[in-house]
Amino acid sequence: MTQTQTKKTSARGFWLIPLAASLALSGCTPNTGEITVVSREDGSGTRAAFIELFGIEEKTADGGRKDHTTDEAIIAKQSDVMMTQVAGDEDAIGYLSLGSLNETVKAVSIDGIAPAPEAVASGEYPVARPFLVATAGDPDALAADFIGYILAAEGQTIVNESYTAVVADAAPYASTDPSGTLVVAGSSSVAPVMEKLAEAYEAVNPAAQVDIQLSDSSAGLQAAIDGTADIGMSSRDLKESETATLNATVIARDGIALIVNQANPVTDLTSDQVHAIFTGTVTSWSELTEVDELS
Amino acid sequence: MSPAHESTDVLTETSTWTWRLVKERGMGLLFAFTALVSIAAVALICVFLVGGSLPAFSEIGLFAFLTGTDWSPSDVPPTFGILPMIVGSLYITAGAIVVGVPVGLLAAVFLARSCPPRLYRIVKPGVDLLAGIPSVVYGFFGMAAIVPLFDNSMLAASVLLGIMILPTIVALAESALRAVPESYYEGALALGSGHYRAVYSVLLPAARSGVLAAIVLGVGRAIGETMAVIMVAGNQARMPDSIFDGVRTLTANIVLEMGYAADLHRQALIATGVVLLVFILLINLSFSALVRKAR
Repeated sequence: MTQTQTKKTSARGFWLIPLAASLALSGCTPNTGEITVVSREDGSGTRAAFIELFGIEEKTADGGRKDHTTDEAIIAKQSDVMMTQVAGDEDAIGYLSLGSLNETVKAVSIDGIAPAPEAVASGEYPVARPFLVATAGDPDALAADFIGYILAAEGQTIVNESYTAVVADAAPYASTDPSGTLVVAGSSSVAPVMEKLAEAYEAVNPAAQVDIQLSDSSAGLQAAIDGTADIGMSSRDLKESETATLNATVIARDGIALIVNQANPVTDLTSDQVHAIFTGTVTSWSELTEVDELS
Repeated sequence: MSPAHESTDVLTETSTWTWRLVKERGMGLLFAFTALVSIAAVALICVFLVGGSLPAFSEIGLFAFLTGTDWSPSDVPPTFGILPMIVGSLYITAGAIVVGVPVGLLAAVFLARSCPPRLYRIVKPGVDLLAGIPSVVYGFFGMAAIVPLFDNSMLAASVLLGIMILPTIVALAESALRAVPESYYEGALALGSGHYRAVYSVLLPAARSGVLAAIVLGVGRAIGETMAVIMVAGNQARMPDSIFDGVRTLTANIVLEMGYAADLHRQALIATGVVLLVFILLINLSFSALVRKAR
């Protein structure tokens, strides 16, 4: 192999460059104002709450349920992927837990109400779901003390950092000096705030230990029923089969924020518009105004 | 040929000879055992997959499962059809081949026949490094660099996977080209062909089986890739109309929904894994057939 051969190689390779460039350009889709709908995966607690709150889930007379989220929706697996997706696409719209929201995306108002913990607390902001803990029957001493801590002023202050407290003017916590190990299992949406609560609780009660196991709402509640966990945590309301054995306590409310790209001029959407976008009856931002006229 | 037989000529002391024989046998057993570990793992995986998916196949029906185009696991009653995911996996893999094979093959030719040693010391480790990058990093690269150009689409996933299979194709094709006897190349030159004519008309055809094996292994990597694809492909579970549409692959389907799935939904996801395993099996069979042919 000689030097001249090498030179030939590079010279002959040059014709590839304009070809590659033209390929890249032709693949570029023009910005048509087509809405990019971003949803969460089937089975996600956030998605379940979202489609129920906006009536995207149709309940049939015989007890069936049909999710009418448009087939064209991009599926993002996690809150951060959802945000990256919406932050990178000017025409995107998605949704996520208010507690996960940051400034890379813009949260829009629903029916004129901006999503904020205060608006969720007052019930003005309609798109919210409960975070709850459940015990099989009455909680034992340690579990009762921990739930008491969560609902007391100290616990609700921690809740308020990212979510919405449910007890107004909570009384300060009075420890019953509990000891032992408490197993809390369930929803990965509730777990972040639960970990903060457990840490603060253990600081006040050195003899008590709180173990948190991550799975999902259904598994956590099942663990509480089976007795493998003392407390199950859930990001959805209990089903009828579960309320028979479980005592549930709402510890926080979590708003679901509709998010769009920072460059998107839209600041306010109606529930009907959100429904139309996520069921695919409206596919471009320019069509949106017509929804109001129809309804 | 057993080393124990050779040693009879060399060694006079019987005890040493016996000890060596014991050691040889012992090590032989150890090696056989470690080889069996892999076989046992494959067998266990097959048993788990088949056992876990049988209820799904019997309840949904093999035909309905493989040819159904509607995937709505959370509906009541649910629908499980994975044809969109089968098609998605095949399209994206084909796209990756279109992108990755020409680039990888030409790069292999360059590395094997034309690359000056000093450049080789930079290019070769670079290609190897490409193989070591975790796929989630490829995913973030895809979200940041490829998605803005092509949207969340089959095209974006194909381009990204095309890059990801480069190291496999380059490495295997390069060694296949290097395995061709030098006399072929010299013979071609002696008959009056130039450097590139000799490479493309004589060396590449001679290395055909090895090059094909490289492509098949690339296909295997592309079809099994999960994380990076989830982040750029859009993951819509519906039949795509064009390469600008998003798709969901078999692997993405499993990863997206496994965390929440229970009962029939979970079994349907395991059955998705069985379908994927069959694809991988076919790819590996053709790979070993090609390698056998190459020898």
